[in-house]
Amino acid sequence: MAIIEVKDLVKTYKIMEKKEGLIGYFKNLIKPKYREFDAIKGINFSIEEGELVGYIGENGAGKSTTIKILTGLLTPTSGSVSVNGIIPNKNRIENNKNIGAVFGQKTQLWWDLPVIESFSLIKKMYKIPENEYRKNLKRFTEILDLGELLEKQVKNLSLGQKMRCEIAATFLHNPKIVYLDEPTIGLDVFVKENIRKFIKDINKEKKTTVILTTHDLRDIEDVCNRIILLDKGQIIYDGDKQKFKDSYGKYVIAELIIKDKKKDIVLNDAEILEQFENKLKIKFRHDETTIVKIMDEISKFCNIEDIHMKEEELEDILKEIYKGAHKC
Amino acid sequence: MLKTMIQLAKMQFNHYNIYKSNFYLFTLNRIVEIIVYIFVWQAIYNQTGNAGGFTLSQMITYYILATAFSSIALWGINQTMAHSIRNGQINKELLNPLSYFQYYFGLNLGELAFAVVIGFASFTLCAIFWKLALPVNFLDFILCILVILLGIPVTFFIQIIVGTVGFYTNSIWGMQILRKAVIKIFSGIIAPISLFPIWFQNISKFLPFKELIYTPINIWLGKMPYNEILFVIIKQIIWAVILYIIAKIFFKHAVKNLTINGG
Repeated sequence: MAIIEVKDLVKTYKIMEKKEGLIGYFKNLIKPKYREFDAIKGINFSIEEGELVGYIGENGAGKSTTIKILTGLLTPTSGSVSVNGIIPNKNRIENNKNIGAVFGQKTQLWWDLPVIESFSLIKKMYKIPENEYRKNLKRFTEILDLGELLEKQVKNLSLGQKMRCEIAATFLHNPKIVYLDEPTIGLDVFVKENIRKFIKDINKEKKTTVILTTHDLRDIEDVCNRIILLDKGQIIYDGDKQKFKDSYGKYVIAELIIKDKKKDIVLNDAEILEQFENKLKIKFRHDETTIVKIMDEISKFCNIEDIHMKEEELEDILKEIYKGAHKC
Repeated sequence: MLKTMIQLAKMQFNHYNIYKSNFYLFTLNRIVEIIVYIFVWQAIYNQTGNAGGFTLSQMITYYILATAFSSIALWGINQTMAHSIRNGQINKELLNPLSYFQYYFGLNLGELAFAVVIGFASFTLCAIFWKLALPVNFLDFILCILVILLGIPVTFFIQIIVGTVGFYTNSIWGMQILRKAVIKIFSGIIAPISLFPIWFQNISKFLPFKELIYTPINIWLGKMPYNEILFVIIKQIIWAVILYIIAKIFFKHAVKNLTINGG
């Protein structure tokens, strides 16, 4: 039995059409006109316990809407959602006991009190047993390096310190499912790595199901093993991360250091991204041609000194998909 | 549940108390108010000798107590609630494993605890400078406290109702001013109800506000027969239930609206 089950989910927002001017204002008061906007257009997925799912898509693709429906903050227009056997919008408080959530910069820590006070509120709200609480606190302090932060007032913490505390607060009651909406936004590389490691470790230890939405695809690359890709309210990919890269990422990017260039290089099978006096950056499909053939061709124009190849990263693949999706 | 509420109350209390200047400034503010009222009434009593059935010493006691009780009547979670609706913190609060009312009742208790501390401080300071009329017997004192305690759910649910308006309008500044004005007039903070016209006194008999200030002070001064106190207690309980039902229905509608239309 899947822990999260989403069937034919549709969410339509009603947006009031604002008319201009004073007359328009009164028209709005008397008879407001609504325009309908489909944020989610019938999506299906199910998530098993312990999965690390990256939920990605452009701004406005419907990611946050889905998360809000899964947490019961929004009611679906049609379709059904079941989280851990509970319908979230019907039985929100019951559902809240099993979940944890981080929403971007919204915090559950109290601004002008020491962090530990907020933790002990969480302990009491979720009725966490004393020994479990101590055990978690000790473990989290270890991984996230919270040590001296706990006694500090939240307002005196830096963004990274605050987010580390926030993440710890979210996992404190051993939630079965955790929704992380942009947990690493605006953080430096070390804090990001720290948080990713924490998510992976806790997932391994407690089989916590994590749904992660982010615009930093390194997060996904590092943490998740499954990707759900959303575009304009529809799922366009759902499955294994590696398979995603294999099936979409057919391109290889190569950087060549060259010398003695005779004339501008023109290639048949590869696309030239950048071209300088001593540097060349190309892109080609590895199922159509090989680097050896291309190098042969290039050597007609110049001498190749060095070559550096890399597979396309998730970010590049997504850019292509978005571009493609925009065209049609 | 109880533990959670105590923790919430403690945190909300500390949240005020962290800025120590709050305490001194609020208390000072109360004292200045009391001094002004006492000067005015001393001048009036010099002319008339009696007002609304109070002697001058009773009137001075009335204002000292009214000021001490006023923060309990007026303070609460309105501001916190409005703020959290406006900046979206409400989403986080709706994800708590306890109901919104319980969460905010805990916060409310913390606010009131701070109000009690300030009330007590201003009362004690005044008791040094003016001779206060004390309750005739211990039972009167207990009943006075009881009536004040019964006011807490009443003001809490009123604040929830006013705060819920914020779901629709985003700003409840005007509503809050109105709430405070109504409580100030009908509770007797401005002047004892017995000084007002008869029709006003009749209206206030049925409203729950008189019991926040005027009634407990009258009990304190021993001016209230016990059968009337009993009536007042029953009235407060009925009001608390009515306001609870209204708040519940209204809040449920607002949250439904929020969850259907998005926030």
